[in-house]
Amino acid sequence: MIWTIIGGMTLILFFNRYLFLEPRLPIRLNRGVKEFLGFAVPGMLTAICGPIIFVKDHGLDLSLSNPYLLAGLCAIGLMLWRRNVLLSVALSVALFYLFRWWL
Amino acid sequence: MRDSLARTAFFRGTIACLPLTLACAPWGLLAGSTAIDAQLTPAQSQGLSLFVFAGAAQLVAIGMIKGGASAISILVTTLLLTSQHLLYAMHLRPLVSPLQPKWRFGLGFLLTDEFFALVSPFDQKTFNRWYALGVGLCMYVGWNIFTLLGVVLGKSIPGLDQLGLEFSIAATFIALITPIVRTVPTIVCVAVSLLTVVLFSYWQWESAIVLAGLAGMVAGYLCKRLGGYWA
Repeated sequence: MIWTIIGGMTLILFFNRYLFLEPRLPIRLNRGVKEFLGFAVPGMLTAICGPIIFVKDHGLDLSLSNPYLLAGLCAIGLMLWRRNVLLSVALSVALFYLFRWWL
Repeated sequence: MRDSLARTAFFRGTIACLPLTLACAPWGLLAGSTAIDAQLTPAQSQGLSLFVFAGAAQLVAIGMIKGGASAISILVTTLLLTSQHLLYAMHLRPLVSPLQPKWRFGLGFLLTDEFFALVSPFDQKTFNRWYALGVGLCMYVGWNIFTLLGVVLGKSIPGLDQLGLEFSIAATFIALITPIVRTVPTIVCVAVSLLTVVLFSYWQWESAIVLAGLAGMVAGYLCKRLGGYWA
């Protein structure tokens, strides 16, 4: 099961990476497809973050005493302030443990 | 003479990619340790980095495996999540597609966000395939070393799943998303994606992440298209 997933992911990644490097491929992505794919990073990454932050034991935790939510908001603030991915991640993870210990 | 030029270019590429490779260290460690945490064997954990070699997709797949998602929903998510590589390859096509097959396959396999960032500034005259190979291999070797360290650490830390490591994945993605949320369609995309994923997970839909991601993408795309008509 796991190896099937790894094999499938390997094929998908290589397909995505190699498809347009193949010289015999005549087609081009039209503008609509490019625009749609342009939303893949914000759309998919947000969808992955949502459950990590809000879903706890099959229930929603929308309160401000949720350390994931508080530290997530801090990560946004830090990113807007310093524009540094590593710094924002390191500090917000530290804050996450602080909140979790505190709350 | 040719050999030494190639070696110099390869070396320059490796050096250029070294800071970016080191910056990926925490995520490499995570990719290894969270895989162990999700009950993958050490070989499977390392296999993800050896064969798939895509940080975000690996972390997401591990999270989904841990959450009990089906293989199909993991593969669909992978396809969507890594579709930016289509765009990268499109940009690099003039440089890479005239090369011999072994170079196309090799550089294609090594194509990452970082590779694209370092190689795409070149044009057909200044592009050097050895430089590109240096960039790509530096990232590949570094990523696998950090994964291995993560696997070793993951094996030796008991109760890894209680440590809240998954927050670092959320923090990383938040840090990557925040700077690109600048236009109305992107804001709509992120908002719809967040709302629907919370709703779908609350309903315990198995493909909550893929469906919410797609909903966000469609919303953003429609918003951009409609905005274009109104403007």
